[in-house]
Amino acid sequence: NIEEKSPEDLVKHSHYKSNPFDATSNKPLQKKPKNDLLSLSQYESGSYQLPQWKNALGELVIKYFKLDMDRVRAGSIAGSYYYSLCRSPGLQYENEPLSEAAKFFYEDLKLPRTFSQWFQITILHEWILFTRMRAMPFKYGRNYQQKLVDRTFSDIEMRLFEEMNVTSSRISDQYLKDFNTQLRGAVFAYDEGLYTDDATLATAIWRNLFGGRKDIDMIYLEAVVRYVRSNIYVLSKISDREFATGNFKFVPPNETVEVLTPEHELELKQKVIEKYEAIDNKPDILPSERSNLSYKN
Amino acid sequence: MSKQAVKDAAKSMVKVLEKFPEERIKHVISFKDVQIERFQKISGAKMSTGAEAQKPSISDIKDIINRTSKPLGLSSKLLKEMQSSSPQEEFTEVSINEQIKALNNLMANKLKNYYDAGDKIYKPAGNPYYYQRLLDELEGKRKENIFTAFRTVVFGK
Repeated sequence: NIEEKSPEDLVKHSHYKSNPFDATSNKPLQKKPKNDLLSLSQYESGSYQLPQWKNALGELVIKYFKLDMDRVRAGSIAGSYYYSLCRSPGLQYENEPLSEAAKFFYEDLKLPRTFSQWFQITILHEWILFTRMRAMPFKYGRNYQQKLVDRTFSDIEMRLFEEMNVTSSRISDQYLKDFNTQLRGAVFAYDEGLYTDDATLATAIWRNLFGGRKDIDMIYLEAVVRYVRSNIYVLSKISDREFATGNFKFVPPNETVEVLTPEHELELKQKVIEKYEAIDNKPDILPSERSNLSYKN
Repeated sequence: MSKQAVKDAAKSMVKVLEKFPEERIKHVISFKDVQIERFQKISGAKMSTGAEAQKPSISDIKDIINRTSKPLGLSSKLLKEMQSSSPQEEFTEVSINEQIKALNNLMANKLKNYYDAGDKIYKPAGNPYYYQRLLDELEGKRKENIFTAFRTVVFGK
């Protein structure tokens, strides 16, 4: 018997009042143009259309060199799309209102508005995706994980210089090493929590996401555990093919995930099978649309 | 709302916290110890000497430093400030009872059972023994030797 509430509802109904230590340094940042996009490359903007001849050339190369599209796709799906999903919930800009998801983390959970906190929020989301990537065939899953992590660190390096006013590469290297240690520690602790029990997962979240602060509200911990478990539940219900082609979004903290009934699940699976069978059996299927990943699991 | 009610609620919170599972390896800070101390203060009970007696030994500290870096990349000055700052919080009987309820939910593993991810996640196809190996290592059931470690590094599983 579990209450059907969203993580945000849980947090908002808590009667506990506190004023946690705020590590935010309120130093004014140097005014920089807002960079919401992943990169300034035109290939990463949503509206860009590849010229026809480039498209055709690409398809030819894929066809005649027999490129494995499941490997190639990792770059654009994990390295670009999934990274943008992980990165955006913690993003914030000076003098600008927070996004809905960021409000949950910074206002409802009272986390400090710092760069390191953004990193913690990002790696929590990345780890949620890792749990699903491990369930893909090994060489593909591993590749997806690699692309996601590579992109994270190249983005951090860029933002350290652009936004955090770091000017020397020695210092940025130190930060990157530090973030790397944190990533390993967090992934290990979350993995332990995922496999064992909610209490262990909650302590892992407390140590990493909440920085081990004393005045923690247990309801916050319960809400974040719910956020994590419900998203992993959703991930466990989608097939390799859907996940690998980027058909996933995190369920935002203000929404509730309901458990599927067996009939519902069967119906969902049937629809997915129909959809991908139709794609695979198309007579004029493009080489770039091919995939060997299963859509039945 | 009387102060006594808050104290009583805090006492039962401490009792729940005492049943909280122990951590499998030592970390810089222990959730259980920190929270027991926090609610013992509210309940007005004398601090048990147990927590102080269990101060980490030098080898423990070395072990922790080898494994972890500063949390959140904060400067050590800020960290000290954070640890020494006394929490600014207000408790009522209602809010402590909510805390107890949330903690009980966590300890009863309700969410793991409700959002059951199944073997697809717990025995992932790409690496079926990933979690089991992690846990065995943590519990000291099976240690990696130099050869298995080498294999893990080269092949990734």
